[in-house]
Amino acid sequence: MSSVNLKNVVGKKSEVNSDILLLAKELNIEVCIEDATGKLLLGTLLPDDVSKFPIKLDDQILGWVKGDAKAVIIANLVSHLAAKEAEKKNLGNEVLNLYQELNVIFNFSEKLAETIEPDAIARITLEQAMHSISSDGGIIVLWNDDKGQLEIPAQAGEFLFDKEKIRKNTSLLFKIAFGGQSEIINDFSVLREKGIIEAGVKSLMYAAMKVKHRIMGAIILAGNKDDQFSAAHLKLIVTLALQSSAAIESAMLYEKNIREAKEREEAILRIHEATKKFVPNEFIRSLGKNAITEVRLGDQVEKIVTVLFTDIRDFTTLSENMTPEENFHFVSSFNARLGPIIRANRGFINQYLGDSIMAIFPESPEDALQAAIQMQKAIRELNKERIAKGLPIIKAGIGMHTGPLIMGITGDESRMDAATISDTVNTASRIESLTKYYKSPLLLSQETQEHLNGHYKFHVRQLGTVRLKGKSNLLSIVECINGFEQPEYEKKLSTLSYFNEAMRCYREQQFENATMIFQQILALDPGDQTAKFFLENASRFMRQGVPENWTGAEEMLTK
Amino acid sequence: MEKKILIVDDEAHIRMLIGQTLEELEDEGVEFLTADNGASALELIQSEKPNLVFLDVMMPKMNGMDVCQRVKKELAIDDVYIVLLTAKGQELDRQRGQEVGADVYMTKPFDPEVLLSKAREVLQLD
Repeated sequence: MSSVNLKNVVGKKSEVNSDILLLAKELNIEVCIEDATGKLLLGTLLPDDVSKFPIKLDDQILGWVKGDAKAVIIANLVSHLAAKEAEKKNLGNEVLNLYQELNVIFNFSEKLAETIEPDAIARITLEQAMHSISSDGGIIVLWNDDKGQLEIPAQAGEFLFDKEKIRKNTSLLFKIAFGGQSEIINDFSVLREKGIIEAGVKSLMYAAMKVKHRIMGAIILAGNKDDQFSAAHLKLIVTLALQSSAAIESAMLYEKNIREAKEREEAILRIHEATKKFVPNEFIRSLGKNAITEVRLGDQVEKIVTVLFTDIRDFTTLSENMTPEENFHFVSSFNARLGPIIRANRGFINQYLGDSIMAIFPESPEDALQAAIQMQKAIRELNKERIAKGLPIIKAGIGMHTGPLIMGITGDESRMDAATISDTVNTASRIESLTKYYKSPLLLSQETQEHLNGHYKFHVRQLGTVRLKGKSNLLSIVECINGFEQPEYEKKLSTLSYFNEAMRCYREQQFENATMIFQQILALDPGDQTAKFFLENASRFMRQGVPENWTGAEEMLTK
Repeated sequence: MEKKILIVDDEAHIRMLIGQTLEELEDEGVEFLTADNGASALELIQSEKPNLVFLDVMMPKMNGMDVCQRVKKELAIDDVYIVLLTAKGQELDRQRGQEVGADVYMTKPFDPEVLLSKAREVLQLD
């Protein structure tokens, strides 16, 4: 019961003050009312020898009504009014408590709305609980289902809880805090014995944190005084725990969504990384698309490109001595050396065809030629390693041609492929084959040479024309000597003008002169296989004469 | 001289809540006055000269803003401290509260502790 200020009940400003005076007048008595301290509240002061009647609220005397015997009526009336006033005040206090609770929950909700991080929500919850409920220490325990362990996202106040002991006694904690109940614990001797709570703890209260029927954990408050927690406190902590549980649950779901979205994004990225290894990005970009997902059946683009082919010489013979697995490793390691060179020179590998590679250089033939020269160097280095291991050396031919090419997506709706359709590809492949015929490692078409636009750093030898099998047009073949190893390159460079002169004689059927010059070249550079090839041809024509309608072009009877 | 607090709100329970919150000041000789509308508030401010007024903004007829404007700006009574009370998060009201000369602005639901300490501060009670 709250105490009542008698002044408020009968004082001058009260509504009943004049009524009581009127009543006294009607009763024909003289009265005065004093509070417990003797302070006059109503009427005029009467001497101490008159009778006085107590104004009581329960057992407490609030004041006195002085007067004769009839004044007892007024004393009873005022006691009754005081009781009503006390009742009103009690009601008011209860409403104020509820209002305070409402304010706490309002503020708490506002704070919760500001964060989406589960641990931060736990900290805010504990902070709010300890602010609203007088307590000396608090902790929040949450069960992490994924990790299968107890977590303690928040601890506040004095260190009344031992985190390590809590973790060690998970099963005990489960029995207490994970029962889904909320209560003021009277007997917590077990917890004290296990060292989970400090010896000084005299009061303990907890509320389960749960969503629907799933128990997530608990918020536990401890106090150093006896009976520190009331039923009202329990109600408040339950409210906070429930609100907090829902917020933590949403925050965890949010985190999970973010995590999953990130994982999906990474998976897509990995797929993208993988697909670009199968269908080069350059191919997709050439089609004006950013990603393979944008590519549609029938997409196509035509442009002038340089197509380069490489092929390992006598691969069949080489592979005969290898197991299929060794064979695969051999080809893979060969390709692994050449692939980066192609990319470094702005080209991309359109296709691996067993021991050969088809690459496309969309920007300039110079890129292709530069790549080819570097590839020759890489093969020489590979050979050094093979010699050291006692393995036979590898020889490879490189051929290229420049011309229009259609890149596009062919197939059907359920099986598509990135394809190149062009005679340029066939021609490049055939030029590569000619490296065997001319015994030269690097050949290009005259079209490629013309597209080089005077890049004089490349030194070339004109090898004349060929008519490919099944083709009516003649193709001029050019050999690039830049890729030879330094001493050989220098020899070929020094004999370049002789070679061109010899070829002129050869074309004009001056085979005697041609033979003589080729012999001179071979005297200086005995390893010049191409010169040897033409010397043999010229010698044969000298001996046997040229066929009818000989144009100087080599007729290719096979592909 | 006795210190006076005037509580103005058209809602009876809010008047009671504020009274209840500040109850302990009664023991320190503070007198409480209440009004349930702007017009009576204005009369009481002039006749009783309270030191502190908790003034609700949203009231029918004459609202808290108008009362404040009249007291602070037109009647130029500056020895009264006016706390405007209104629902949370009405940013425009806050601005208007400053314009009409309110000393401070509090939102409902108010924090009883904050309300009490504000009253103690204004009335210079320890």
